Amino acid sequence: MAEKKTTIDVGDGAAIPTKHDIGLFSAWWIALIGALGIITYLSVFKPDPYWRILKFLPDGVLVTFQVTILSIILALILGLFTGLGRISKNRAVNLIASTYVEVVRGIPLLVQLFYIYFALGQVFANLPDSNFVFVFLKNMPPLVAAVIAMGFCYGAYMGEVFRAGIQSIDKGQTEAARSLGFNRRQTMFYVILPQAWRTILPPVGNEFIALLKDSSLVSILAVSDILRRGREFASVTFNYFETYTMVALVYLVITLLLSKAVSSMEERLNYYGRR
Amino acid sequence: MDDARIIISIRGVFKFFRTLRALNNVSLDIRAGEKVVIIGPSGSGKSTLLRAINRLETTDRGEIIVDGKNVNDPRNNINAIRMELGMVFQNFNLFPHKTALQNLIMAPMKLKKIPRDQAKQNAMALLKKVGIEEKADVYPVQLSGGQQQRVAIARALAMNPKIMLFDEPTSALDPEMIGEVLDVMVTLAREGMTMVVVTHEMGFAREVADRVVFMDQGEVVEMGTPRHFFERPEHPRTKKFLSQIL
Repeated sequence: MAEKKTTIDVGDGAAIPTKHDIGLFSAWWIALIGALGIITYLSVFKPDPYWRILKFLPDGVLVTFQVTILSIILALILGLFTGLGRISKNRAVNLIASTYVEVVRGIPLLVQLFYIYFALGQVFANLPDSNFVFVFLKNMPPLVAAVIAMGFCYGAYMGEVFRAGIQSIDKGQTEAARSLGFNRRQTMFYVILPQAWRTILPPVGNEFIALLKDSSLVSILAVSDILRRGREFASVTFNYFETYTMVALVYLVITLLLSKAVSSMEERLNYYGRR
Repeated sequence: MDDARIIISIRGVFKFFRTLRALNNVSLDIRAGEKVVIIGPSGSGKSTLLRAINRLETTDRGEIIVDGKNVNDPRNNINAIRMELGMVFQNFNLFPHKTALQNLIMAPMKLKKIPRDQAKQNAMALLKKVGIEEKADVYPVQLSGGQQQRVAIARALAMNPKIMLFDEPTSALDPEMIGEVLDVMVTLAREGMTMVVVTHEMGFAREVADRVVFMDQGEVVEMGTPRHFFERPEHPRTKKFLSQIL
Protein backbone atom coordinates (compact mmCIF):
# COMPACT_ATOMS: atom_id res chain seq x y z
CA MET A 1 0.00 0.00 0.00
CA ALA A 2 2.98 2.29 -0.39
CA GLU A 3 2.08 3.52 -3.85
CA LYS A 4 1.77 7.25 -4.27
CA LYS A 5 -1.61 8.55 -5.24
CA THR A 6 -1.93 11.99 -6.68
CA THR A 7 -5.60 11.72 -7.58
CA ILE A 8 -8.25 10.74 -5.12
CA ASP A 9 -10.65 7.93 -5.86
CA VAL A 10 -14.27 8.85 -5.47
CA GLY A 11 -15.53 5.35 -5.38
CA ASP A 12 -17.13 3.84 -2.35
CA GLY A 13 -19.97 6.22 -1.52
CA ALA A 14 -23.06 6.96 -3.54
CA ALA A 15 -22.58 7.87 -7.18
CA ILE A 16 -21.96 11.59 -7.36
CA PRO A 17 -23.85 13.25 -10.20
CA THR A 18 -21.80 15.35 -12.57
CA LYS A 19 -23.07 18.47 -14.25
CA HIS A 20 -23.73 16.35 -17.30
CA ASP A 21 -26.24 14.18 -15.43
CA ILE A 22 -28.38 16.98 -14.10
CA GLY A 23 -31.01 16.80 -16.79
CA LEU A 24 -34.64 16.23 -15.89
CA PHE A 25 -34.36 12.58 -16.83
CA SER A 26 -31.01 11.85 -15.22
CA ALA A 27 -30.61 8.78 -13.05
CA TRP A 28 -30.40 11.00 -9.98
CA TRP A 29 -33.78 12.61 -10.61
CA ILE A 30 -35.43 9.32 -11.53
CA ALA A 31 -34.18 7.75 -8.31
CA LEU A 32 -35.15 10.70 -6.12
CA ILE A 33 -38.57 11.32 -7.63
CA GLY A 34 -39.21 7.59 -7.72
CA ALA A 35 -38.30 7.13 -4.06
CA LEU A 36 -40.27 10.16 -2.88
CA GLY A 37 -43.18 9.17 -5.12
CA ILE A 38 -43.37 5.65 -3.72
CA ILE A 39 -43.08 6.89 -0.13
CA THR A 40 -45.86 9.43 -0.70
CA TYR A 41 -48.08 7.00 -2.60
CA LEU A 42 -47.78 4.28 0.04
CA SER A 43 -48.25 6.68 2.96
CA VAL A 44 -51.35 8.25 1.42
CA PHE A 45 -53.06 5.22 -0.06
CA LYS A 46 -51.93 2.54 2.38
CA PRO A 47 -51.42 4.51 5.61
CA ASP A 48 -51.65 1.28 7.55
CA PRO A 49 -48.91 0.22 7.96
CA TYR A 50 -46.82 2.57 5.75
CA TRP A 51 -47.71 5.91 7.35
CA ARG A 52 -47.30 4.34 10.78
CA ILE A 53 -43.85 3.08 9.78
CA LEU A 54 -42.87 6.48 8.42
CA LYS A 55 -43.91 8.17 11.66
CA PHE A 56 -41.88 5.64 13.62
CA LEU A 57 -38.59 6.22 11.75
CA PRO A 58 -37.64 9.94 12.31
CA ASP A 59 -36.17 9.26 15.77
CA GLY A 60 -33.89 6.78 14.04
CA VAL A 61 -32.97 9.32 11.35
CA LEU A 62 -31.78 11.65 14.10
CA VAL A 63 -29.70 8.92 15.72
CA THR A 64 -28.24 7.94 12.35
CA PHE A 65 -27.16 11.53 11.74
CA GLN A 66 -25.84 11.80 15.28
CA VAL A 67 -23.69 8.70 14.87
CA THR A 68 -22.56 9.77 11.40
CA ILE A 69 -21.61 13.32 12.33
CA LEU A 70 -19.83 12.40 15.55
CA SER A 71 -17.99 9.59 13.75
CA ILE A 72 -16.93 11.80 10.87
CA ILE A 73 -15.58 14.42 13.29
CA LEU A 74 -13.52 11.76 15.05
CA ALA A 75 -12.47 10.33 11.69
CA LEU A 76 -11.37 13.77 10.43
CA ILE A 77 -9.22 14.38 13.48
CA LEU A 78 -7.67 10.90 13.30
CA GLY A 79 -7.38 11.24 9.53
CA LEU A 80 -5.49 14.53 9.71
CA PHE A 81 -2.94 13.10 12.12
CA THR A 82 -2.73 9.85 10.18
CA GLY A 83 -2.25 11.67 6.88
CA LEU A 84 0.46 13.89 8.38
CA GLY A 85 2.02 10.81 9.99
CA ARG A 86 2.08 8.96 6.69
CA ILE A 87 4.13 11.72 5.05
CA SER A 88 6.26 12.36 8.12
CA LYS A 89 10.01 11.99 7.82
CA ASN A 90 10.06 10.68 11.38
CA ARG A 91 10.27 6.91 10.91
CA ALA A 92 8.49 5.98 14.14
CA VAL A 93 5.56 8.32 13.48
CA ASN A 94 5.34 7.12 9.91
CA LEU A 95 5.36 3.49 10.99
CA ILE A 96 2.65 3.99 13.61
CA ALA A 97 0.38 5.78 11.13
CA SER A 98 0.97 3.22 8.39
CA THR A 99 0.38 0.29 10.73
CA TYR A 100 -2.87 1.83 11.93
CA VAL A 101 -4.05 2.17 8.34
CA GLU A 102 -3.06 -1.39 7.44
CA VAL A 103 -4.68 -2.94 10.51
CA VAL A 104 -7.93 -1.02 10.23
CA ARG A 105 -8.25 -1.63 6.51
CA GLY A 106 -7.74 -5.34 7.03
CA ILE A 107 -10.55 -5.85 9.51
CA PRO A 108 -14.21 -5.61 8.49
CA LEU A 109 -16.08 -2.73 10.10
CA LEU A 110 -18.67 -5.10 11.55
CA VAL A 111 -15.94 -7.09 13.28
CA GLN A 112 -14.42 -3.85 14.63
CA LEU A 113 -17.81 -2.87 16.06
CA PHE A 114 -18.19 -6.26 17.74
CA TYR A 115 -14.65 -6.03 19.01
CA ILE A 116 -14.95 -2.63 20.63
CA TYR A 117 -18.38 -3.14 22.11
CA PHE A 118 -18.45 -6.82 23.03
CA ALA A 119 -14.82 -7.98 23.23
CA LEU A 120 -13.34 -4.89 24.86
CA GLY A 121 -16.63 -4.47 26.73
CA GLN A 122 -15.93 -7.75 28.49
CA VAL A 123 -12.42 -6.56 29.41
CA PHE A 124 -13.73 -3.22 30.63
CA ALA A 125 -16.42 -4.92 32.72
CA ASN A 126 -13.68 -6.36 34.97
CA LEU A 127 -12.02 -3.00 35.63
CA PRO A 128 -12.07 -1.66 39.19
CA ASP A 129 -14.11 1.45 39.98
CA SER A 130 -10.90 3.26 40.90
CA ASN A 131 -11.21 6.27 38.61
CA PHE A 132 -13.74 7.96 36.37
CA VAL A 133 -12.14 6.68 33.14
CA PHE A 134 -12.62 3.07 34.25
CA VAL A 135 -16.15 3.79 35.40
CA PHE A 136 -16.94 5.37 32.03
CA LEU A 137 -15.45 2.44 30.11
CA LYS A 138 -17.38 -0.08 32.20
CA ASN A 139 -20.63 1.68 31.44
CA MET A 140 -19.81 2.76 27.91
CA PRO A 141 -23.07 3.60 26.16
CA PRO A 142 -23.55 1.77 22.84
CA LEU A 143 -23.61 5.10 21.01
CA VAL A 144 -20.13 5.97 22.27
CA ALA A 145 -18.81 2.54 21.33
CA ALA A 146 -20.37 2.93 17.90
CA VAL A 147 -18.83 6.35 17.33
CA ILE A 148 -15.39 5.19 18.50
CA ALA A 149 -15.49 2.14 16.23
CA MET A 150 -16.77 4.00 13.19
CA GLY A 151 -14.44 6.97 13.74
CA PHE A 152 -11.48 4.67 14.24
CA CYS A 153 -12.24 2.77 11.06
CA TYR A 154 -12.96 5.78 8.88
CA GLY A 155 -10.01 7.68 10.34
CA ALA A 156 -7.75 5.26 8.48
CA TYR A 157 -9.53 5.87 5.18
CA MET A 158 -9.59 9.60 5.88
CA GLY A 159 -5.85 9.47 6.53
CA GLU A 160 -5.34 8.27 2.97
CA VAL A 161 -7.57 11.08 1.68
CA PHE A 162 -5.56 13.67 3.62
CA ARG A 163 -2.27 12.16 2.48
CA ALA A 164 -3.30 12.18 -1.17
CA GLY A 165 -4.66 15.73 -0.84
CA ILE A 166 -1.47 17.02 0.74
CA GLN A 167 0.70 15.27 -1.81
CA SER A 168 -1.37 16.73 -4.65
CA ILE A 169 -0.03 20.21 -3.83
CA ASP A 170 2.93 21.22 -6.00
CA LYS A 171 6.33 20.88 -4.33
CA GLY A 172 7.11 24.46 -5.35
CA GLN A 173 4.57 25.67 -2.79
CA THR A 174 6.55 24.06 0.02
CA GLU A 175 9.79 25.45 -1.37
CA ALA A 176 8.35 28.96 -1.64
CA ALA A 177 7.07 28.86 1.94
CA ARG A 178 10.27 27.37 3.34
CA SER A 179 12.42 29.90 1.48
CA LEU A 180 10.42 32.72 3.10
CA GLY A 181 11.37 31.29 6.48
CA PHE A 182 8.31 29.25 7.44
CA ASN A 183 9.12 26.05 9.29
CA ARG A 184 7.62 22.69 8.33
CA ARG A 185 4.57 23.02 10.56
CA GLN A 186 3.81 26.61 9.53
CA THR A 187 4.19 25.60 5.87
CA MET A 188 1.69 22.79 6.36
CA PHE A 189 -0.93 24.90 8.16
CA TYR A 190 -0.58 28.23 6.34
CA VAL A 191 0.21 27.07 2.80
CA ILE A 192 -0.41 23.38 2.10
CA LEU A 193 -3.58 22.50 4.01
CA PRO A 194 -5.51 25.65 2.96
CA GLN A 195 -4.96 24.53 -0.62
CA ALA A 196 -5.31 20.80 -0.04
CA TRP A 197 -8.79 21.04 1.51
CA ARG A 198 -10.23 21.77 -1.92
CA THR A 199 -8.90 18.43 -3.07
CA ILE A 200 -9.77 16.76 0.20
CA LEU A 201 -13.32 17.99 0.68
CA PRO A 202 -15.11 16.13 -2.16
CA PRO A 203 -13.78 12.70 -1.10
CA VAL A 204 -14.53 13.62 2.51
CA GLY A 205 -18.12 14.32 1.49
CA ASN A 206 -18.13 10.97 -0.21
CA GLU A 207 -16.75 9.23 2.86
CA PHE A 208 -19.51 10.95 4.83
CA ILE A 209 -22.12 9.32 2.63
CA ALA A 210 -20.39 5.96 2.86
CA LEU A 211 -20.19 6.35 6.63
CA LEU A 212 -23.87 7.20 6.85
CA LYS A 213 -24.72 4.00 5.04
CA ASP A 214 -22.29 1.93 7.10
CA SER A 215 -23.79 3.44 10.25
CA SER A 216 -26.67 1.00 9.76
CA LEU A 217 -24.24 -1.59 11.16
CA VAL A 218 -24.45 0.03 14.58
CA SER A 219 -28.02 -1.21 14.89
CA ILE A 220 -26.51 -4.46 16.15
CA LEU A 221 -25.16 -2.57 19.20
CA ALA A 222 -28.69 -1.59 20.23
CA VAL A 223 -28.24 1.94 18.92
CA SER A 224 -31.67 3.06 17.75
CA ASP A 225 -30.77 4.24 14.25
CA ILE A 226 -33.07 4.02 11.23
CA LEU A 227 -32.50 0.30 10.71
CA ARG A 228 -32.87 -0.52 14.40
CA ARG A 229 -36.15 1.41 14.60
CA GLY A 230 -37.37 -0.51 11.57
CA ARG A 231 -36.41 -3.80 13.18
CA GLU A 232 -38.22 -2.84 16.37
CA PHE A 233 -41.36 -1.97 14.39
CA ALA A 234 -41.22 -5.12 12.28
CA SER A 235 -40.60 -7.47 15.18
CA VAL A 236 -43.81 -6.25 16.83
CA THR A 237 -46.04 -6.00 13.78
CA PHE A 238 -44.45 -8.73 11.61
CA ASN A 239 -44.67 -6.31 8.64
CA TYR A 240 -41.14 -7.14 7.47
CA PHE A 241 -41.68 -6.38 3.80
CA GLU A 242 -43.41 -3.05 4.37
CA THR A 243 -40.99 -1.89 7.08
CA TYR A 244 -37.76 -2.67 5.27
CA THR A 245 -39.15 -1.18 2.06
CA MET A 246 -39.64 2.12 3.88
CA VAL A 247 -36.25 1.84 5.62
CA ALA A 248 -34.51 1.32 2.28
CA LEU A 249 -36.37 4.23 0.68
CA VAL A 250 -35.54 6.59 3.56
CA TYR A 251 -31.82 5.72 3.30
CA LEU A 252 -32.01 6.21 -0.45
CA VAL A 253 -33.56 9.67 -0.21
CA ILE A 254 -30.98 10.79 2.37
CA THR A 255 -27.96 9.58 0.40
CA LEU A 256 -29.31 11.02 -2.86
CA LEU A 257 -29.74 14.46 -1.29
CA LEU A 258 -26.30 14.29 0.31
CA SER A 259 -24.62 13.23 -2.91
CA LYS A 260 -26.13 16.23 -4.65
CA ALA A 261 -24.87 18.49 -1.89
CA VAL A 262 -21.37 17.04 -2.30
CA SER A 263 -21.36 17.58 -6.06
CA SER A 264 -22.54 21.19 -5.87
CA MET A 265 -19.93 21.84 -3.20
CA GLU A 266 -17.30 20.41 -5.54
CA GLU A 267 -18.30 22.85 -8.26
CA ARG A 268 -18.19 25.85 -5.95
CA LEU A 269 -14.69 24.98 -4.79
CA ASN A 270 -13.20 25.92 -8.14
CA TYR A 271 -13.69 29.65 -7.91
CA TYR A 272 -10.02 30.61 -8.13
CA GLY A 273 -9.17 27.77 -10.45
CA ARG A 274 -6.34 25.33 -10.09
CA ARG A 275 -2.83 25.65 -11.33
CA MET B 1 33.50 46.73 -4.15
CA ASP B 2 36.56 44.71 -3.18
CA ASP B 3 36.56 45.89 0.41
CA ALA B 4 32.89 45.14 1.06
CA ARG B 5 32.51 42.25 3.47
CA ILE B 6 31.94 38.74 2.24
CA ILE B 7 28.28 37.88 2.86
CA ILE B 8 28.11 34.45 1.20
CA SER B 9 31.06 32.13 1.38
CA ILE B 10 30.92 28.81 -0.44
CA ARG B 11 33.92 26.61 0.31
CA GLY B 12 34.73 23.28 -1.27
CA VAL B 13 31.14 22.18 -1.73
CA PHE B 14 30.31 18.78 -3.17
CA LYS B 15 26.93 17.26 -3.90
CA PHE B 16 26.38 13.80 -5.31
CA PHE B 17 23.31 12.39 -6.99
CA ARG B 18 24.26 8.71 -6.72
CA THR B 19 27.52 8.72 -8.72
CA LEU B 20 26.91 12.00 -10.53
CA ARG B 21 28.76 14.98 -9.11
CA ALA B 22 26.13 17.70 -9.20
CA LEU B 23 28.52 20.03 -7.42
CA ASN B 24 32.21 19.26 -7.63
CA ASN B 25 34.41 21.22 -5.25
CA VAL B 26 32.71 24.58 -5.75
CA SER B 27 34.13 27.61 -3.99
CA LEU B 28 32.78 31.13 -4.38
CA ASP B 29 32.78 34.26 -2.22
CA ILE B 30 30.12 36.89 -2.71
CA ARG B 31 30.47 40.35 -1.21
CA ALA B 32 27.67 42.50 0.14
CA GLY B 33 26.10 44.52 -2.67
CA GLU B 34 27.63 42.35 -5.35
CA LYS B 35 25.62 41.08 -8.31
CA VAL B 36 26.73 37.63 -9.37
CA VAL B 37 25.26 36.00 -12.44
CA ILE B 38 25.72 32.25 -12.80
CA ILE B 39 25.46 30.84 -16.30
CA GLY B 40 26.08 27.46 -17.83
CA PRO B 41 24.45 24.66 -19.80
CA SER B 42 21.51 22.82 -18.27
CA GLY B 43 22.62 20.20 -15.81
CA SER B 44 25.74 22.19 -14.99
CA GLY B 45 24.75 22.47 -11.31
CA LYS B 46 24.02 26.20 -11.33
CA SER B 47 20.50 25.87 -9.91
CA THR B 48 21.68 23.26 -7.43
CA LEU B 49 24.34 25.67 -6.19
CA LEU B 50 21.82 28.51 -5.85
CA ARG B 51 19.36 26.28 -3.98
CA ALA B 52 22.15 25.05 -1.72
CA ILE B 53 22.69 28.62 -0.50
CA ASN B 54 19.33 28.59 1.33
CA ARG B 55 19.46 24.82 1.88
CA LEU B 56 16.55 23.92 -0.33
CA GLU B 57 19.22 21.51 -1.53
CA THR B 58 21.51 19.78 0.96
CA THR B 59 25.18 19.33 0.20
CA ASP B 60 27.47 16.42 0.99
CA ARG B 61 30.77 18.13 1.73
CA GLY B 62 32.16 21.61 2.20
CA GLU B 63 30.47 24.57 3.83
CA ILE B 64 28.20 27.43 2.86
CA ILE B 65 28.28 30.41 5.17
CA VAL B 66 25.64 33.11 4.85
CA ASP B 67 26.20 36.27 6.86
CA GLY B 68 28.49 34.42 9.25
CA LYS B 69 26.22 31.41 9.73
CA ASN B 70 26.85 27.95 8.33
CA VAL B 71 23.56 26.91 6.70
CA ASN B 72 24.27 23.21 7.24
CA ASP B 73 25.01 23.53 10.92
CA PRO B 74 22.01 22.14 12.82
CA ARG B 75 22.72 24.56 15.67
CA ASN B 76 21.81 27.47 13.39
CA ASN B 77 18.12 28.15 12.83
CA ILE B 78 17.76 27.65 9.11
CA ASN B 79 14.43 29.51 9.10
CA ALA B 80 16.10 32.62 10.50
CA ILE B 81 18.85 32.36 7.86
CA ARG B 82 16.23 31.96 5.11
CA MET B 83 14.50 35.17 6.20
CA GLU B 84 17.65 37.00 5.08
CA LEU B 85 17.61 35.22 1.71
CA GLY B 86 14.82 36.15 -0.69
CA MET B 87 14.23 33.50 -3.34
CA VAL B 88 12.56 33.85 -6.73
CA PHE B 89 11.66 30.67 -8.62
CA GLN B 90 11.34 29.81 -12.27
CA ASN B 91 7.69 28.85 -11.79
CA PHE B 92 6.82 31.82 -9.52
CA ASN B 93 5.25 29.55 -6.87
CA LEU B 94 2.83 32.20 -5.68
CA PHE B 95 0.28 30.93 -3.18
CA PRO B 96 -2.81 30.46 -5.39
CA HIS B 97 -5.28 30.69 -2.49
CA LYS B 98 -4.09 34.20 -1.61
CA THR B 99 -4.40 37.48 -3.49
CA ALA B 100 -1.27 39.30 -4.61
CA LEU B 101 -1.39 41.50 -1.50
CA GLN B 102 -2.01 38.54 0.81
CA ASN B 103 0.95 36.75 -0.77
CA LEU B 104 3.10 39.70 0.29
CA ILE B 105 1.87 40.25 3.83
CA MET B 106 1.65 36.64 4.96
CA ALA B 107 5.29 35.99 5.87
CA PRO B 108 5.99 39.42 7.45
CA MET B 109 2.85 39.12 9.60
CA LYS B 110 3.33 35.52 10.69
CA LEU B 111 7.11 35.45 10.98
CA LYS B 112 8.05 39.00 11.92
CA LYS B 113 4.81 39.80 13.76
CA ILE B 114 4.42 43.02 11.80
CA PRO B 115 0.92 44.48 12.35
CA ARG B 116 -1.45 44.04 9.42
CA ASP B 117 -1.76 47.75 8.61
CA GLN B 118 1.96 48.23 8.45
CA ALA B 119 2.49 45.02 6.49
CA LYS B 120 -0.15 46.15 4.00
CA GLN B 121 1.46 49.55 3.65
CA ASN B 122 4.85 47.98 2.97
CA ALA B 123 3.28 45.51 0.56
CA MET B 124 1.50 48.24 -1.42
CA ALA B 125 4.76 50.16 -1.71
CA LEU B 126 6.47 47.03 -3.04
CA LEU B 127 3.66 46.31 -5.50
CA LYS B 128 3.97 49.87 -6.71
CA LYS B 129 7.69 49.39 -7.10
CA VAL B 130 7.18 46.34 -9.32
CA GLY B 131 4.45 48.20 -11.20
CA ILE B 132 1.31 46.25 -10.35
CA GLU B 133 -0.30 47.99 -7.42
CA GLU B 134 -3.63 47.90 -9.25
CA LYS B 135 -3.55 44.08 -9.10
CA ALA B 136 -3.23 43.94 -5.30
CA ASP B 137 -6.57 42.20 -4.76
CA VAL B 138 -6.31 39.81 -7.66
CA TYR B 139 -5.58 36.08 -7.35
CA PRO B 140 -2.43 34.76 -9.05
CA VAL B 141 -4.39 32.72 -11.59
CA GLN B 142 -5.77 35.98 -13.02
CA LEU B 143 -2.30 37.42 -13.56
CA SER B 144 0.01 36.95 -16.56
CA GLY B 145 3.30 35.14 -16.06
CA GLY B 146 5.25 38.39 -16.01
CA GLN B 147 2.89 39.88 -13.43
CA GLN B 148 3.07 36.74 -11.29
CA GLN B 149 6.84 36.82 -11.32
CA ARG B 150 6.85 40.50 -10.32
CA VAL B 151 4.53 39.70 -7.42
CA ALA B 152 6.87 36.85 -6.48
CA ILE B 153 9.82 39.25 -6.41
CA ALA B 154 7.82 41.65 -4.27
CA ARG B 155 6.85 38.79 -1.94
CA ALA B 156 10.51 37.94 -1.39
CA LEU B 157 11.35 41.63 -0.86
CA ALA B 158 8.56 41.97 1.71
CA MET B 159 10.72 40.08 4.20
CA ASN B 160 13.39 42.73 3.72
CA PRO B 161 16.15 40.23 2.91
CA LYS B 162 19.84 41.07 2.70
CA ILE B 163 20.34 38.88 -0.36
CA MET B 164 18.11 37.94 -3.29
CA LEU B 165 18.48 34.61 -5.08
CA PHE B 166 16.96 34.27 -8.56
CA ASP B 167 16.57 30.79 -10.05
CA GLU B 168 16.02 31.26 -13.80
CA PRO B 169 13.35 33.91 -13.15
CA THR B 170 12.50 34.48 -16.82
CA SER B 171 12.77 30.94 -18.18
CA ALA B 172 9.06 30.14 -17.83
CA LEU B 173 7.92 33.43 -19.34
CA ASP B 174 6.62 34.27 -22.80
CA PRO B 175 9.23 36.40 -24.63
CA GLU B 176 7.18 39.61 -24.45
CA MET B 177 7.07 39.41 -20.64
CA ILE B 178 10.76 38.86 -19.99
CA GLY B 179 11.54 42.57 -20.24
CA GLU B 180 9.16 43.68 -17.48
CA VAL B 181 10.70 41.20 -15.03
CA LEU B 182 14.27 42.09 -15.98
CA ASP B 183 13.45 45.79 -15.53
CA VAL B 184 12.44 45.12 -11.93
CA MET B 185 15.64 43.17 -11.36
CA VAL B 186 17.76 45.95 -12.87
CA THR B 187 16.11 48.50 -10.58
CA LEU B 188 16.80 46.28 -7.61
CA ALA B 189 20.43 45.92 -8.65
CA ARG B 190 20.82 49.70 -8.96
CA GLU B 191 19.52 50.07 -5.41
CA GLY B 192 22.44 48.03 -4.17
CA MET B 193 20.79 44.70 -3.38
CA THR B 194 23.13 41.72 -3.19
CA MET B 195 21.94 39.42 -5.95
CA VAL B 196 22.80 35.93 -7.11
CA VAL B 197 21.10 35.21 -10.40
CA VAL B 198 20.96 32.00 -12.40
CA THR B 199 19.82 32.97 -15.87
CA HIS B 200 20.17 32.53 -19.60
CA GLU B 201 19.67 36.26 -20.20
CA MET B 202 23.13 37.31 -21.40
CA GLY B 203 22.01 40.91 -21.89
CA PHE B 204 21.16 41.10 -18.20
CA ALA B 205 24.49 39.54 -17.25
CA ARG B 206 26.38 42.01 -19.41
CA GLU B 207 24.51 45.03 -18.09
CA VAL B 208 24.10 44.26 -14.40
CA ALA B 209 26.61 41.67 -13.24
CA ASP B 210 29.71 42.61 -11.27
CA ARG B 211 30.87 39.09 -11.86
CA VAL B 212 29.82 36.32 -14.19
CA VAL B 213 30.38 32.73 -13.08
CA PHE B 214 30.41 29.99 -15.69
CA MET B 215 29.60 26.50 -14.44
CA ASP B 216 29.81 23.21 -16.30
CA GLN B 217 29.50 19.64 -15.00
CA GLY B 218 29.22 20.78 -11.41
CA GLU B 219 32.36 22.90 -11.48
CA VAL B 220 33.07 26.60 -11.59
CA VAL B 221 35.01 26.73 -14.84
CA GLU B 222 35.67 30.42 -15.11
CA MET B 223 34.61 33.68 -13.55
CA GLY B 224 35.25 37.33 -14.12
CA THR B 225 33.76 40.67 -15.03
CA PRO B 226 31.23 40.64 -17.86
CA ARG B 227 33.79 42.42 -19.97
CA HIS B 228 36.40 39.76 -19.41
CA PHE B 229 33.82 37.09 -19.74
CA PHE B 230 32.14 38.03 -22.98
CA GLU B 231 35.14 39.57 -24.74
CA ARG B 232 38.16 37.52 -23.63
CA PRO B 233 36.98 34.19 -22.25
CA GLU B 234 39.93 31.99 -21.46
CA HIS B 235 38.67 28.48 -20.95
CA PRO B 236 37.77 26.40 -24.02
CA ARG B 237 34.51 25.21 -22.40
CA THR B 238 33.46 28.81 -21.80
CA LYS B 239 34.27 29.72 -25.38
CA LYS B 240 32.30 26.75 -26.65
CA PHE B 241 29.28 27.62 -24.49
CA LEU B 242 29.32 31.28 -25.49
CA SER B 243 29.65 30.41 -29.17
CA GLN B 244 26.54 28.24 -28.84
CA ILE B 245 24.32 30.85 -27.23
CA LEU B 246 25.50 34.19 -28.60
